[in-house]
Amino acid sequence: MTAQEVRLCGLLLREHFGEVVEKVGTHLLKCGAQNLRTIIHETGLSVDLVKKSLCVLVQHGASTFSSGRKGPGSPTEYHASCDRILRILRYPRYIYTAKTLYGDTGELIIEELLQRGHTTMSSTVKTVADRLTQNMAEGLTMDYSEVSSTFSKLVETHFLQRCPPLPRVGNKDSSAPSETPAAPGTPAAPVNTAPPTPESFPECYKVPSVTLIGRGKRQLASEDGEEQRSAKRAKMDPETHGDEGIYWQVNFERFHLHFRDQTIISAVANKLDQTSSEIVRTMLRMSEVTTSPMATCTKPLSANEIFRSLPPSYNILRPILDQYLTLLVDDPMEFVGKAGESGGGMFVVNLHRALANLARATLESVVQERFGSRSARIFRLLLRKRHLEQKQVEDFAMIPAKEAKDMLYTLLSQNLVQLQEIPKTPDYAPSRTFYLYTVNQLPTARMLLQSCYKTVANLVERRLFETKESKRLLEKSQRIEAILASLQVSGAEPEQLTEVEEMITAPEKQQLDTLRLHINKLDSAENQVDETIFLLESYINSTNASS
Amino acid sequence: MAARGRGQRTLSFTMETVKGDAPPPSVQQPTPVFPVMERKPLPLTGGEEAEYLLALKQDFRGAMRSLPCFIQPLVTHRDVERYSDKYNRSEQMDKLLDWAPDWKRFPRELRVHVRKPARDSVSAAVQSPPPQMKKKGVKDKEEVLLKLESLEKKEEQETSEDEEGETKKKQEEEEAEGEEEYDEEEFEEETDYIMSYFDNGEDFGGDSDDNMDEAIY
Repeated sequence: MTAQEVRLCGLLLREHFGEVVEKVGTHLLKCGAQNLRTIIHETGLSVDLVKKSLCVLVQHGASTFSSGRKGPGSPTEYHASCDRILRILRYPRYIYTAKTLYGDTGELIIEELLQRGHTTMSSTVKTVADRLTQNMAEGLTMDYSEVSSTFSKLVETHFLQRCPPLPRVGNKDSSAPSETPAAPGTPAAPVNTAPPTPESFPECYKVPSVTLIGRGKRQLASEDGEEQRSAKRAKMDPETHGDEGIYWQVNFERFHLHFRDQTIISAVANKLDQTSSEIVRTMLRMSEVTTSPMATCTKPLSANEIFRSLPPSYNILRPILDQYLTLLVDDPMEFVGKAGESGGGMFVVNLHRALANLARATLESVVQERFGSRSARIFRLLLRKRHLEQKQVEDFAMIPAKEAKDMLYTLLSQNLVQLQEIPKTPDYAPSRTFYLYTVNQLPTARMLLQSCYKTVANLVERRLFETKESKRLLEKSQRIEAILASLQVSGAEPEQLTEVEEMITAPEKQQLDTLRLHINKLDSAENQVDETIFLLESYINSTNASS
Repeated sequence: MAARGRGQRTLSFTMETVKGDAPPPSVQQPTPVFPVMERKPLPLTGGEEAEYLLALKQDFRGAMRSLPCFIQPLVTHRDVERYSDKYNRSEQMDKLLDWAPDWKRFPRELRVHVRKPARDSVSAAVQSPPPQMKKKGVKDKEEVLLKLESLEKKEEQETSEDEEGETKKKQEEEEAEGEEEYDEEEFEEETDYIMSYFDNGEDFGGDSDDNMDEAIY
């Protein structure tokens, strides 16, 4: 948990949950696991606020609790999870992916789950059906069964998973709590150091048999009072649908696997051509269920199988497929490898190597954009040749000595290039030591990842600053929009509308436009930096797994 | 660049040793906060997908602000202290209790207890009760009037935990909570007016009427 990560987490918590949760969350991140009393004492907030913030954090999976370190009797301790909070940056991408795969229904289900953290299937289905009904044409409603089927599909493909049932922790309550049937029995609540992953429970991906019959309700805008009352009535009578206590959460790892596959496919499309990317897409699709998340490469697929599974619209003949596969294997990016000769050739997709190469390409592109193409040439050279003396760098890169020296020193001062000393004599005398320049890909990737976090934090802060600067103008424009909207609903004349519109002067309008443009740019930039963050994080995690 | 290096000989012996000219001078102060960029960054990738992602992001942020899990601190710093402030505070407290998660999934200590004012089961181990607590009797009537609408909701959240044995610390905590609650209710009952009827006139003029048929005087 670096300082940059904590800062970014704080900003994300502030934007999505408010400043109180930000305070509690950053305190937990900085100080590790703590119990309730310490948190209250050290943050200086009121008891209720701290309790509420912890509830919010636990509900959204950003924090977990466990029995204290000293044994079952000690107070419960809360840990905050930095990674989980940083995922908030990627929420739009998750929602968009769900839309491309499962349509609007899938999009709304994922959005609902991301907003609420952990919810039951029945409540999600009802809310999503209502929202879809709102957007549908007059008179149409969305049936619950459609939404349920999309929900089940999401669970089958592992995009959603059940929240793991919790062991009873630090309870003074002697009466046995009722647990969901899938919970493993942990009566004495031993202190377990690692929290169980959701997948360690057998019923993680089982859809409960839920009785959900009905259709979405359309909220009528004119009956505000009734709406509130009916909403309250809905809360009053809890309809049981047979899935009480079973909560669902979004399975981020599965989305990440999907993103990784998408990145590899688009990289192949960019480097080679559309057909090769289709072949790789087919291979990845076939290996979706057989490949474990941490696998180095997919299971070997024979060329015959690939040929049979290709989409028919592409009309690829068998010898052409063989040529493409050979091309893919020979490509220096090493996306596809050959694992044997049986069945017309056994091929694998090298996942970890692809990630490493993509990360390398990212590093090279960063150097190129920051320092110029010649520095990038030196950087690539050092990546390929590992250790080079200064003279060799000049010769291989074909750059004059003085400029090469300058560039090397600049890269060295930015810590992108390291110096390795190899002494000829034990006393490390400078004249008798080799000084070799080298680039280590993994530490450089980590460093770049940290600077990405810093970048996003700066972008968020700048956006908050811009919003704060123009707060009055924004509030005024919001009020005027509200007035305009209600005037239009009640059918006012155009003169009245123009009169209201003119309440904002032209320079103010211009100011608003520039502000909007800036905020959109900053938001868009955050999304883009998050793509780089994803790539680097995947690469670093893949090296962790294999080491 | 090399000539400059020769003119100002400075430290950093590792560079010196690399045969050739002296290294560039070492920097004696922190780098500037906004260094001059020699190369402009590339423009952002536009396109439909990027715009849709942008819209999703902003919608999500907006939606989160309206959910009950967005906790606003109770203190609202207005430019001028208004009379209505002390009456508005209780409404914010209501919002806090709006959201009732499944308490079975949380440790017991996180449960925020809501007290009905007419409780007489407040334990005796109280330090010095604040003088406002004497007005408990009058409170009941006003509480019922004030909290009529949300009372049903709050009943769900009540527990009868006072009868169970708890540690003294917990009790003190709850006393602190109880006192907080009582303080707010205290303020509410200073007036004979019903809170929800109070309108401090701030929204006047800014609102737009649904029906423009009637003339505004």
